[in-house]
Amino acid sequence: MDGCQSGVPTYEGDLHVVAAAHHIVKALGATKNLSDDLRKILIDLDSHLSMITSNIDSKGGRGLVDVEERLDQAERKIMRWETDPMMIWDSGPKEASDYLEAVDETGKLVDGLRGLSVHENRKQKEILHRAMNIFQTAMSRLEEELIHILVRHGQQFEPKNMYSRSIRKDIVYDESFVSVEDEPTKETSSQNCSNDESGECIVDLVHADVIPDIKSIAKVMFTSNYGPEFCEAFISVQKEALEQYFSFLGTENLSIEDVLKMEWTCLSSKMNKWTWSMKIIVRVYLASEKQLCDQVLGGLGSVSSYCFLEISKATILCLLNFGEAVAMGPHRPEKLLRLLDMYETLADLLRDIDTLFSEEAGSFIQLQFHELLERLGESAIAAFKAFRVAISSNGSLYPFAGGGVHPLNKYVMNYIRMFPEYWNTLNLLLKNQHPGVADQVTKPDYGPDTSLLTSCPMAYHLRSITSCLESNLHKKSQLYKDEALQHIFLMNNIHYLVQKVKGSELRLFFGDEWIRKHNAMFQQHAMNYERATWSSVVSFLKDNNPGSSSMLKSTFKERCKGFSIAFEEVYKTQTSWSIPDPQLREDLQISTSLKVVLAYRTFLGRNLAYTDEKCVKHTVEHVENSLLDLFGGSSRSLRNSRRW
Amino acid sequence: MDTQEQELEDIELFQKHVSDRFTELSSPPEDDALLSVSWLHRLLDVFLCCEAEFEAILIMDRDPSQLSKPPFDRLIPEFIERAVKALDICNAVANGVDSVRHCQKLSEIVISALDQNPLGDGHAKRAKKALLMLLSAMNLDDKEGTHVKATERSWSFGRRGVNKEQIAGHFRSLSWQVAKNWSSAKQIQSMIYNLVAPRGAEASGLPSPIYTMNVIMIFVMWALVAAIPCQERNGLPTHFPVPKQLNWAHSLIGLQEKIADEWKKKEKKGMSGLLDELQKMEKLAQSLIDFTDSFHFPGDAEKVKEAAVNVSELKEIFGRMDQGLTPLQMHIREVFHRIVRSRTEFLDVLEKGSAPVL
Repeated sequence: MDGCQSGVPTYEGDLHVVAAAHHIVKALGATKNLSDDLRKILIDLDSHLSMITSNIDSKGGRGLVDVEERLDQAERKIMRWETDPMMIWDSGPKEASDYLEAVDETGKLVDGLRGLSVHENRKQKEILHRAMNIFQTAMSRLEEELIHILVRHGQQFEPKNMYSRSIRKDIVYDESFVSVEDEPTKETSSQNCSNDESGECIVDLVHADVIPDIKSIAKVMFTSNYGPEFCEAFISVQKEALEQYFSFLGTENLSIEDVLKMEWTCLSSKMNKWTWSMKIIVRVYLASEKQLCDQVLGGLGSVSSYCFLEISKATILCLLNFGEAVAMGPHRPEKLLRLLDMYETLADLLRDIDTLFSEEAGSFIQLQFHELLERLGESAIAAFKAFRVAISSNGSLYPFAGGGVHPLNKYVMNYIRMFPEYWNTLNLLLKNQHPGVADQVTKPDYGPDTSLLTSCPMAYHLRSITSCLESNLHKKSQLYKDEALQHIFLMNNIHYLVQKVKGSELRLFFGDEWIRKHNAMFQQHAMNYERATWSSVVSFLKDNNPGSSSMLKSTFKERCKGFSIAFEEVYKTQTSWSIPDPQLREDLQISTSLKVVLAYRTFLGRNLAYTDEKCVKHTVEHVENSLLDLFGGSSRSLRNSRRW
Repeated sequence: MDTQEQELEDIELFQKHVSDRFTELSSPPEDDALLSVSWLHRLLDVFLCCEAEFEAILIMDRDPSQLSKPPFDRLIPEFIERAVKALDICNAVANGVDSVRHCQKLSEIVISALDQNPLGDGHAKRAKKALLMLLSAMNLDDKEGTHVKATERSWSFGRRGVNKEQIAGHFRSLSWQVAKNWSSAKQIQSMIYNLVAPRGAEASGLPSPIYTMNVIMIFVMWALVAAIPCQERNGLPTHFPVPKQLNWAHSLIGLQEKIADEWKKKEKKGMSGLLDELQKMEKLAQSLIDFTDSFHFPGDAEKVKEAAVNVSELKEIFGRMDQGLTPLQMHIREVFHRIVRSRTEFLDVLEKGSAPVL
């Protein structure tokens, strides 16, 4: 117990002390070189001691009566509450402090009575016993009061005010490549904490006003060796509050088996929830809880950190467990972005975790999270690699109808469009993984264009991914029998690729040179298409004898017919082809038109004499307009303009 | 010696080691009673040693494609699945150790209360309160939904006047659960499912150590679940379908039967873990509760003496728990991580073995 003055006259204990003091005084008095001051002090002391001795002797019997009176008083104050339905701390500060005074008094009496010698009388024993019982009752009551205060004044905070959920677009990687809509990504900022982002947001988990009350109870209980009861009560209430909050956040415990078997959309949302919960729990709740423990139990040695650990352990381990389960799972490409989210969140929070669990007892938690970070990084890289493999190995048995933008293209481009957001993390992870490989991966032969972004590891890997995609698309184009369609397909797809890069932050990583090169590529395909389709058609309109004024009628008829048939054929086929991008479609139509319509007009113009013949099935305007029908996506057949 | 013979020799050696290690476990020295904290440490060590040897035999210097062919294309994935289930059990048991530590904490209060001279009514009351909580903590039905929230204790919110001694439960943490509806008993059951000893030619080849390792893993997990209270142990299987003729299995089967007997006895009375220290603690707690119930100052001298003896025994158990429980949790985590690594190794092997030739 606290080494405080007993306030109770003791018999033999005091007598011994006094006797010893007398000895010392005598011994000191016998020394030769005493200063006057010292001598005076010793004389005073001597007379004091004599007085005490006589006091003790005279007061001997009366001492106990005093004690009993004091105990009666304290007992009244304490025991009256046992039949009172109210809680002491609810009844007002005066009641509370009165109670604590009474407890303190009882404690002193117990200590004093205890200090009496073994040969005390029966009365003394009875009083001591009574005092101890009252004391125990008080301690038990304080425990209840503590729980009541914690529960009554516990506060929960609204998580939405702290961090708004980051809504990143969920891309579903479906084996059959359901086409992904080209929606603009809804990306709201993931930080919205009212306090500074890098720091903690401390809230009052228990109303600030009652902290002093809790502290005073703690002080009393700890100095009376009832610390364990205090901890037991405190921990159980706080732990329960934390765990209720945790389930209120919507996080649930999942077995590792469950996580490993979980279907992707479900797992994706749980990973999202994890990153969100981690931030709130670690930065806000646990930081606040730790502060509460320090406020209440600071100055009591390691008790504060012990209590904090016990309160938070199960919850933090639950979060750890989910992370570990995810890191164990099959690292499929669709997981990459979520894994990066988890990685970044944890990397951010590591310092907070280190601070919260800095003592030895909590160090294993620190360690586990550090290890988890590493494993999440490894998982992310594995998913990244798997992404590339998935692209290469995505085979097609049949050509893609219409020659439009292939779903694989859409999926990949929409996916990698999100990568720039994570570029720091990806670079870090990629660098660590392949310290030398960055050089091996497609080094840009783009001379002067070596800005930081275009030459970082992620940029290399991005270009490598797209070149992988391009190879695959080339392979797919070979499935078309019609060469023209091959070119349309490649034109569409490379155009799409370029548009996606240009229209997002990817352009910073791919660089202008790449964009230029790929622009040239799809334009080349456009030209190849024109050549493949229209050369032969336009050849009917060629003038073999540029010098002469016109051709023979029979030749004209033949050519006309040939042209009509060819044109109608192209019309029928190519109206079912598709060029999804309206601008691209228009450009190609214009370019085609320039060639074909011009040639036709010239042809007809040269042979005006025959233009009224039946063989001229289509007017120039009709040809011109019909060209606009091409690449509409559904097959049509051409009507004769003359029928109208 | 060609690889075939070498392999057979390795397998034989492995199984001899297994047999030896479990024989050692069966005859523990005085201090190391069956299912005590220190015995569990030794059990976990045995697991780690066996696992290391097992991995060496199966993976080291072996062409991965071998393990992708039948019967390994079935045996290895099955092993990996069981390993995953074992991981969840490791977590459940590690959580369970926390509840044992809680008992340890409560016993500290009991010791502190009763280690007094002279013993007063107040001390006895203090001890009794802690003992009640201790007993309910140990015997708490580990089913969901039977925990008593701290906030529902009848002494708060003005519902006073109720005899405090009637308060049964103590708070059981929500995140003590592995998962909703998870059951350690069912988990063990599903690990045992489909466990078939290799026959005929397979019995002398690689399938044999795979079977052995499966059995060891199941046994270790089962013993942990029996010893440490964890989520939903009702219906824990008590029989393993391990054929008795297997040489290496004798000691293991003996151990299993002993523990199973204990389990069946305890199942009727209540569900506290078979952990030796917990069992002893329970007995002491029972007799101390009787003591505190009937105690009136100054108390019967004989009984007080007896109680003092119980308290000093309790102190000893407390000491052993204090020393051994946290390391036990660490040890379980070590096993957990080893199983994770092992699973990754085997997944790698399977992947390499089945990779098409490009």
